[in-house]
Amino acid sequence: MATLAPPRPKSYDDTFWKPISLWLTTTDHKLIGIMYMTTGILSFVVGGLFALIIRLQLTTPNAHVVDAETYNQLISAHGTTMIFFFVTIFMTGIANYFVPLMVGARDMAFPRLNLLGFWMIPVSIIIYYSGFFTGGALNAGWTGYAPLTTRQFNPGLGVDLWALSLIVWAISGIMASTNFLTTIVALRAPGMRLTRLPLFVWAQISTSILLLIVGAPLAAALILLEFDRQFATNFFTTQGRPVLYQHLFWFFGHPEVYIMILPGFGLISEIIPVFARKPIFGYGTMVAALFGIVFLSMAVWAHHMFTVGMNIYVETFFMIMTMLIAVPTGIKFFNWIATAWKGSIDFTLPMKFAFGFMATFLIGGITGIYLSAVPVDTQLHQSYYVVAHLHYVLFGGSVMTIFAGFYYWFPKITGRKLNETLGEWHFWTVLIGFNATFLVMHTLGLEGMPRRIATYPGGFGEEGWGATNAFITVASFLVALSVLLFIINVVTSWRNGEVAGDDPWEGNTLEWATSSPPPPYNFDHVPQVRSFMPLRDQRNERRSREAEASAS
Amino acid sequence: MPRSADFYTERVSYRSSPVLRRLLLAAPLVMIALLPGTALAASGLNPLPPAGVSPNGRNIYNLYLGISIPALIVFALVEGLLLTIVIRDRRRRLGPDYKPPQWHGNGRLEIIWTVVPLLLMVAIGTVSFFELQRDFQRPADAATDMQVDVSGHQFGWTFAYPQGFAITSDGLNANPLVVPTGKLVRLKLNSEDVIHGFWVPDISGKTDLVPGYDNYTWFKIDQPGEWRGECTELCGSGHSTMQLLVKAVSPSDFNTWAAQQQAAQAPSPSPPAGSPGPSPRASASPSPSPSASVRPSPSPSS
Repeated sequence: MATLAPPRPKSYDDTFWKPISLWLTTTDHKLIGIMYMTTGILSFVVGGLFALIIRLQLTTPNAHVVDAETYNQLISAHGTTMIFFFVTIFMTGIANYFVPLMVGARDMAFPRLNLLGFWMIPVSIIIYYSGFFTGGALNAGWTGYAPLTTRQFNPGLGVDLWALSLIVWAISGIMASTNFLTTIVALRAPGMRLTRLPLFVWAQISTSILLLIVGAPLAAALILLEFDRQFATNFFTTQGRPVLYQHLFWFFGHPEVYIMILPGFGLISEIIPVFARKPIFGYGTMVAALFGIVFLSMAVWAHHMFTVGMNIYVETFFMIMTMLIAVPTGIKFFNWIATAWKGSIDFTLPMKFAFGFMATFLIGGITGIYLSAVPVDTQLHQSYYVVAHLHYVLFGGSVMTIFAGFYYWFPKITGRKLNETLGEWHFWTVLIGFNATFLVMHTLGLEGMPRRIATYPGGFGEEGWGATNAFITVASFLVALSVLLFIINVVTSWRNGEVAGDDPWEGNTLEWATSSPPPPYNFDHVPQVRSFMPLRDQRNERRSREAEASAS
Repeated sequence: MPRSADFYTERVSYRSSPVLRRLLLAAPLVMIALLPGTALAASGLNPLPPAGVSPNGRNIYNLYLGISIPALIVFALVEGLLLTIVIRDRRRRLGPDYKPPQWHGNGRLEIIWTVVPLLLMVAIGTVSFFELQRDFQRPADAATDMQVDVSGHQFGWTFAYPQGFAITSDGLNANPLVVPTGKLVRLKLNSEDVIHGFWVPDISGKTDLVPGYDNYTWFKIDQPGEWRGECTELCGSGHSTMQLLVKAVSPSDFNTWAAQQQAAQAPSPSPPAGSPGPSPRASASPSPSPSASVRPSPSPSS
């Protein structure tokens, strides 16, 4: 443990048994960040195991690896785990660790709130998974559409536990968002003007604003659903307005997509300039694009509902707003390309993952254009085309940025670099495995295979889906192998990796100014900030001083 | 574009590098890029949605093709730029002394890649809007040749015909929704319990069946045939068994069939006894023959 953790805050030493006092009661944002990230990675593994069972079930037509009810619980658990307990939680963790460091603060603005917010997550996870031991967890998909989730059609405890779990999760998210915003507004180092904030911090501002706004509607939707279930109200029942549930859910659900990807955008905006040895291209437009996405993402939710029978003019509004998101996203893309253009690029592992992210996320963005066009969406909606699309933006997007960030900041968190050979294997297996899994999956949807079916008929239509599905299952195990390599790498490098030093990548931002891992109070003295790349300024000054000294 | 003083000299330096070497470097990357495409073609996988046997389905197909043109151009452009960077701008190739130009931005370029995507999106949105107006409104009564009331339930369908009979289809062995060719058939969609989805990919797009209100969709099938589909909204443990068949026959065959159904439903107000299947409803016979089971129409059509 001693090698894992930064030096312990002294005030805890005398009170309890030390490791318990350190990890259970710490208010240090770095330790809380590590716990968030560990929770996220564990959820990733669990959600991945669910995915593998799903893939085994779908390998051949009319398979019976699991029964339909279990299958429905598995797809719900896969979605819930990956979205709520992995990506969002991991992103919160990495921000928890690095936002205070990047703005030059000693800790988060509300350390005890941070502690509470983190510990609500394991509570939320335990509440959700306890459904598996009390007669079946949620079985209506991660979206939990009413009226399938009303008491009439779903009398079990699983839906209640899921709703309670996500209400706890949403409150925790609101706490974390408040904390991030306050930290960034109030605790910046001298000279760290808003126009000098690292883009990762800007991304965290926009993410926090989104979660603050849409977290409460999620809780509201679930509380109303519980009213229907427990107190016989009729908000979403067959006597009520089932589609109202979808509106409330997706008013949260679509911005959630951006809550999961905006921090990733921020990470990429940090990584490319460092390894291309160029400043970010168009800092101002990058920030503007973030807020363009924040604004638009709250006006597109009904594009998940183009088949529920809305007025076509309402559909047109949501279609146009959805298409407009391509504009700020395109700006970010072209600015990243311009940042790397004619750079002196060191293709280290973080940079490889950043480029892997751009190459794959682009495909998810383009299929998103097809899906945004309402007429085309009525063909593709609820089919495997959508499953492929969402994995391209969530796995090819968010998860690739998580890997990029992990390889980038692992040396700062642990003081050691991740093993390069294993990392190369990880990169190529995940890139090939991911694309093999999900690229052909588009064709299943185009051939008419709906999502969320527990099995599919063989030879019912003129062409079967069996061969494509078998191929996808094989490819999905390549992705599983890549994750295994990643975890082996993390575990072995954490103890025995190459010692990194304080600033292994010649970074631009303040987290590289302190030691690796940073001391409890982060900085002995905060460096002066005179641009959005304070560490580069410092390094250039030192180099010119050394040059002068050697010249004279 | 603002350029550093050494920009031009740097540019010469990589221009002078051997072209052949660059091509050799690029070869494996190009192969990786082409691999999925060749794999697709070899396996006969279709990168396009069904062409549609109904005009609205065909229009969706055409719109998909239309969007593909800018989509493929953007894909090729961006992946090409990324590939260029990967091949050309490696530090290992350029050497440690290469000083990259320190651009902080370029207003004109950034305006270009804001405005061009914006115009592209507005164009796609406009074309899609016209398609919405044309095919996605409830067809007028005058234009409708026949309306079938489709009702979804866990886990099957009821098709109530204007002639006063209804076909019920439950589970895997679907009883087809029989319709005449060349006629505009309007479907009124509703659900008895949870939300279901009506989708026959070869005919047209999907529409949800939502309890509490009626949705409408339509098709006008131009050829006799039989097409499959299934429920597209997760509706419970039997969701994947909720199969759907649509069968188009010539108008005269349809009239004969409809008369048979009418005659069969008239004497018995309840489903025929001894019909196979575990469901209490009139359930499907193993073979998808249209005369297998009928039950009285629950509602006259509007």
